[in-house]
Amino acid sequence: MSRKISGKSSHFVRDLPIGRKAQMEVTFNWVYILIAGTVILLFFVGLVTRQKAISEERLSGEVVEVMSSILAGAGVSEKTKNFIDASGLADYTLYFQCIDGVSEFGIKDRPARTQNSIDAIFAPHEIQSSRIVTWSLPYGMPFKVMDFLLVIPSTIKYYVMGNDAEFVNEFLNSTEGIERIYVSGLQQIEPEENLQVRIIDTSGTIIPGSSVPAQLQSFEDAEVSAVVFTGANQVDFYQKQGSSWQKLNLESVRVISLPGEKDAAKYAAIFAADDQMYWCNMGKTFRRLELLTKVYGGEEIAFGEAGGKIGELIKYYEVDSSSECLGHLAQYNDNALDALTKLSHATTACRLQQDSCVDLIVAADQLKIINDKLRISCSVSLY
Amino acid sequence: MKTIEQKRMNRRMTRKGQLQMTETIAILFIFFVLLLFGVVFYFRYQKIAFQEKQEELLAARAMESTLKALFMPELICSRGEAEPEDNCFDVLKLNATQKTMQQYLDEYYFEIFSYATIEVQETYPENQTWILYDKPKPEFTRKEPTFFVVTLRDELAGINQPEYGFGYVSVTVYS
Repeated sequence: MSRKISGKSSHFVRDLPIGRKAQMEVTFNWVYILIAGTVILLFFVGLVTRQKAISEERLSGEVVEVMSSILAGAGVSEKTKNFIDASGLADYTLYFQCIDGVSEFGIKDRPARTQNSIDAIFAPHEIQSSRIVTWSLPYGMPFKVMDFLLVIPSTIKYYVMGNDAEFVNEFLNSTEGIERIYVSGLQQIEPEENLQVRIIDTSGTIIPGSSVPAQLQSFEDAEVSAVVFTGANQVDFYQKQGSSWQKLNLESVRVISLPGEKDAAKYAAIFAADDQMYWCNMGKTFRRLELLTKVYGGEEIAFGEAGGKIGELIKYYEVDSSSECLGHLAQYNDNALDALTKLSHATTACRLQQDSCVDLIVAADQLKIINDKLRISCSVSLY
Repeated sequence: MKTIEQKRMNRRMTRKGQLQMTETIAILFIFFVLLLFGVVFYFRYQKIAFQEKQEELLAARAMESTLKALFMPELICSRGEAEPEDNCFDVLKLNATQKTMQQYLDEYYFEIFSYATIEVQETYPENQTWILYDKPKPEFTRKEPTFFVVTLRDELAGINQPEYGFGYVSVTVYS
């Protein structure tokens, strides 16, 4: 029994009696297998975990990419509504925000996101829905500036009320396919489960001073909001806070638009999350408007001189100084050059201070009238 | 006698141990070769997949840029408050936009088109070219041109009505 063996084991094992040595070797082999197995197992577990994380990141990146393409496409197709089947994205929460003139869109709690400082996208802050409607509406001031993209999830129900019958009818007719209904008062609201609620008060007298109706009080505060149109093209944003309404905007927000059907700025207010998102996107619009006045009037328009398209039109008609076209363009009291100069100044002022935006509406309206006259009497138009 | 036998046995077992050791080394060597082969294959696949993805993205960006260019308010043939004419550029606006886009290229338009070149080529009645946007990527490795036929409206050329020409817009994107 005191035999000794030699083999691959260490000196200490080699010097042991054979029986004990064999026992030791078997134990050693098992420990070795256990450690090696654990290491290999850990390696594969690590690999799988890493791959899973990469796949999720890639998937969220692809989702953002696809959504960006959809939004880019929808943004340029004027006056179109797209119904996007987002059932594959129902597990994800998409978020939209706009801070300091830059919109951000992405998937909540995921690194994939995209930023945009050009396009005006009006949407709720968060969307978790199996169906999303994108609606593109052209915004003109008075010429086309850009298409507003309204992103509307099927999980929000819009209750329109108030005595602005013309707008209520227009809204109901133009929003087919969107969850909306007309109700005569707050008590008529019959909320459905799993739906958020937005109230559109077109007369501006229903929400201010009233409390949140009993049937909406069980909802989370973030799920119930209201947009209130008050006189003189103003809009206020409200949010449920317990049983009362909290006004989100400290100062009243102006709807900067010319009167007419499907007022893009008004619709944008209805579908924007709050005053901050609304005004942030309007800021992008005014930046584009500023550049467009340079296309129509050149850099010189800031000094009241003609450049750009109007410059070429004036140069063409200058050969006949008695021409009515030249009159409308630059000579009459109400002429296109002066109106465009005012529009250019008002746009710059509006970007700096919201109160100055009223001048923008006046200048745009004036330019619109002159453009109509130009088209009728000269068969040309500025825009 | 016992000692000799024991020595023989020890020697036999040592040889067996050496053989086992060589076997283990050979297995480990093959294992690592296979692992290396797998890693190389995986990275080559990833590289190709990445290149394909880049090409795909570039093609998508080319289409998106063309779409954006075709609907730019700076270029479209507007008709007052009515809907603008499809696939039509206003010649008077083209001249003005050329200057504005070049002036505000980095400040504004780069965000829309990134590294790209946008050119409008008139084919009828004349052969004028407008380079609206020109920002090629320094040391670009790939470029994707896209062409789209457009009509060119000149309000001052016709008598009491605008005259229409033909041309195409070429949008080249770089990566």
